[in-house]
Amino acid sequence: MTDSTRPSSGRARALAGGASLILLLAAWEAASLAIGKEIILPSPARVLAVAISLYPTPPFLSDLWATFLRGLAAFGLSAGLGIAAGLASGRRPIFGAMLAPILTVIRATPVLALVLIALLWFPSGFVPIFTAFLMAFPIMATSAAEGTLATDPRLLEMARLFRVPERELFLKLRLPSAAPHLLSGAKNALGLSWKVVVAGEILCQPTRALGTGMQDSRLLLESASVFAWAVAAVALCGLTEWALGLAARKAARHGL
Amino acid sequence: MAYELKDLRASYDGIPVVDGITLDLAPQSITVILGPSGCGKTTLLNLIAGLKAAESGERIGFERCRFSYAFQEPRLLPWIDCRENAAFALSGALKRDEALARVDRFLAAAGLSEAAHLRPGALSGGMRQRLSLARAFAYPSDILLMDEAFQAVDLKMKLELMDVFLSLLSEERRTVVCVTHDVEEAVYLADRAVVLSSRPARIIDAFPVDVPRSRRALGAAATMDAESRLYKLALAPERPSVR
Repeated sequence: MTDSTRPSSGRARALAGGASLILLLAAWEAASLAIGKEIILPSPARVLAVAISLYPTPPFLSDLWATFLRGLAAFGLSAGLGIAAGLASGRRPIFGAMLAPILTVIRATPVLALVLIALLWFPSGFVPIFTAFLMAFPIMATSAAEGTLATDPRLLEMARLFRVPERELFLKLRLPSAAPHLLSGAKNALGLSWKVVVAGEILCQPTRALGTGMQDSRLLLESASVFAWAVAAVALCGLTEWALGLAARKAARHGL
Repeated sequence: MAYELKDLRASYDGIPVVDGITLDLAPQSITVILGPSGCGKTTLLNLIAGLKAAESGERIGFERCRFSYAFQEPRLLPWIDCRENAAFALSGALKRDEALARVDRFLAAAGLSEAAHLRPGALSGGMRQRLSLARAFAYPSDILLMDEAFQAVDLKMKLELMDVFLSLLSEERRTVVCVTHDVEEAVYLADRAVVLSSRPARIIDAFPVDVPRSRRALGAAATMDAESRLYKLALAPERPSVR
């Protein structure tokens, strides 16, 4: 194995990640200095100062919590229903054929159009959940369907010959076989859920929402505050992705 | 009760694969079916197990039989440990505590007690095959079907696995049907050897290997007669059944 193909250690990867973050901040600082107008591009230091004063306040925490719950609800719905639909379509081709056009229509519909349509039907607090669910559902359904097909046919034959009950077959063979696909789909779906939830909140303006706070700051031309809200959204996404990875590693250690 | 196959015939897409097999399986005996690769040995196992329907012929005595299997490759779930792998196969046949008790007993007989909580990835190839055998024996079957179960390993490991197989068999006697294309394996294991022709499979010869197991070894003088007879049959040009 050559040096270029050898997998890097965790420490080396962390260093590389840290270095790229510093590079990004340096580029941001340089661009901010070059533009010279805080209203167009505030400096990282200014955003940090606003964040430090904003984050501990009760309204911010309450907005963050409301957005967190919306994101979690949207992701939970899309994961639950998407996995069920995907597994069913992976097992039964006819169901897959029925699901395919629905997924295509959902994928092709612009997020903003969905938000505007959903606004006609639901209260503003639920619209981001509905929209994010619809956006993430096809990802989960497709991943689950691919995961079902990933089960080793020789293991399936072995289980069939030993007359393993369907429940055991699902929990011990089909689900773990599909797990890598499900995890990859879940990561994508989770990231998308946060983006769509915040976008939906910006458009719908629910009383308590990270997106509402961001939009209010924009209307008041407080650019540093908009950035601080955005950083909070990014952190929320990063933290939940990290928690998902951790849960997946724990599940793998326990044989799932 | 003896198990009996009468004039079984089967084909795939109209091409005959098994052509009039008539065979008795004595209870708690080891019948080794020897035939060239692709002759229809696995199809015959599937016919015995009822997994493939015969076009004609009869299966007598198999109605309430339970079958267990050992395959050429171990077919283990990589994400659960040895104990859970074996218990997985037993989950439809026994309650969990009964299943685990049997699994522990047969893992011990296969010399795998200390590896019970290791996953297959942490085992050597030989240990994985031993686990596959232990799983097949732990399953409470009447008949154990073995599809070239000792083929994917080197000679030393094959000898070790065949001894593990015999040790597991002594733990709980079973009617065993083993298909192989390996003459020495057939002589080492069989109470009765059955030789098949190339496809479509017909029985060329069937005879008991009546050498005490304690005197059998690969290349042993005691087994020379059976071995040379099988080699002659296996290498001879096709001829009609002499049964």
